Amino acid sequence: MKKEIPLIITFISGLLLVVALFIPHEPFGSLQERFNDWYIIVSGFTLILGVDSLLLYHYRKIKRKEKDAPYSAILIFSFVTVLIWGIYSGIKHGNPFAPTSTFLRYFYTYIFVPLGATMFALLSFFIASAAYRAFRARTFNATLLLISAGLVMLGRVPKGEETIPYFIGITLILIALIFALEGIQRVNPYEKALFFVLSILSLGVIFPSSILLKKYLPFIADWVMNIPQLGAKRGIFIGISLGAIAMSIRIILGIERTYLK
Amino acid sequence: MKNFFEKLARIDRRIIYLIVFISVTIPLLTRKGFKFEPLQEVKNAYDFIEKLPEGSAVMISIDYDAASMPELQPLLEVVLTHLFRNNLKIIMLGHWPLGLPLGQIALEKIAKEMNKKYGEDYVFLGYRPGVAAVILNMGKEIRGVFNSDYRGKPLDSIPLMKNIHNYNDIALLIGFEAGATGDYWVQFGQARFGLKIIITSTAVVTPDMYPYYQAGQIIGLIGGLRGAADYEILVNKKGFAYAGMTAQTVIHIIIIALILLGNIGYFALRRLR
Repeated sequence: MKKEIPLIITFISGLLLVVALFIPHEPFGSLQERFNDWYIIVSGFTLILGVDSLLLYHYRKIKRKEKDAPYSAILIFSFVTVLIWGIYSGIKHGNPFAPTSTFLRYFYTYIFVPLGATMFALLSFFIASAAYRAFRARTFNATLLLISAGLVMLGRVPKGEETIPYFIGITLILIALIFALEGIQRVNPYEKALFFVLSILSLGVIFPSSILLKKYLPFIADWVMNIPQLGAKRGIFIGISLGAIAMSIRIILGIERTYLK
Repeated sequence: MKNFFEKLARIDRRIIYLIVFISVTIPLLTRKGFKFEPLQEVKNAYDFIEKLPEGSAVMISIDYDAASMPELQPLLEVVLTHLFRNNLKIIMLGHWPLGLPLGQIALEKIAKEMNKKYGEDYVFLGYRPGVAAVILNMGKEIRGVFNSDYRGKPLDSIPLMKNIHNYNDIALLIGFEAGATGDYWVQFGQARFGLKIIITSTAVVTPDMYPYYQAGQIIGLIGGLRGAADYEILVNKKGFAYAGMTAQTVIHIIIIALILLGNIGYFALRRLR
């Protein structure tokens, strides 16, 4: 019965919510509201579970004197301090988050906000470094991704269209150089000629492509965002939704039971 | 020669960090901005707010926290200025408890600047857990979820909230999104109740919102610092976002230059091997 009762509850509530979506009339209409109220109450309690699990995890780390135990001690100390201060502010100002309360002024504004912002700001350093290391035109797909990323990055910032001719120029000169070097190494005269023609062509398109991109870069960036990006995104969304529906059906029918563990 | 290309392909990450630091700091300190044309999706958002009749209720959802503050907080202040300037009524709530004080700080600040009164021109509801359930239940009766404001004052005793019961009484919802809550607003607020929505989001979240924009499920989309800067231009209150766009331009150019350098090193080394 330990497993059967939760399975029955899941089946009935899941089925009722599905029925309520298609038949919004009584008694299903109000039933859905009641289920939502219960959901709100339960999700409030999940916060307590989260806090309990977090504190227990760090308490155990301190008890076992693990390598990172001092950090765990700081976490527990901060938690207790903020909790006490929050209760104090709640009593004094009627709300622990009141802008006038000392809790918000000191802990939130001067500790939490800068820490959160710093964590996010660090991303810009990592992204720049990772982009430099990982964005290599190794394959055709990688090259396409590289080109479209470059176009969107420059197309979405002011003055981007003015800088793109320089990037295009450098890139096409390099491509011409690669073709020329390839041509020198070839023995077959036809192949040699082909690579030299390609090299000259690369140099020849620098000017027209720069002019075109300078004029149409914002439109190209918008096109990348609105057509290929959206097409892929829709595919992913549909996939996720189908997966979620399949998983929901499995849970309602009791096939998927991992949540019981 | 090989040595040079090897160095080009493996620039020390500390040098990259230093370049990023300098290229972001200098434009932010100089606060010099470039001229640019606002994006259409931002213009749509601005125009919709402009056309709202005076006294209409606008709901603002704070769904971000301190990590996304540099992108969304300047925009929140500009949007609040625009709403108050047009004499619209603001109802603020949120689904990110740690970010809600940011919303409250901005609301109190702008309301003070614009001489607006709590309870008459704006109200702060606060937080309730449950995201989707909260959005769904508010579609039927806001009091079913929030029976009082954040101070515990019953909604019926607040003049602004007297005639506001559900989304039929809300002219617009503006969601400030740093995660997936924007999806919930569209899927449960717009799709189920026809709520009019404008999404403002971090640059990372913005591409996820484009399908809703293209499908007409959201009226406007204000994405990232660029969106915020566009909105500042439209509202004619150039501030942090507008100045920040110079830093963004510089950093984008530097990242592309670094990628180019990395590729030159990579191809040259491959050839030399």
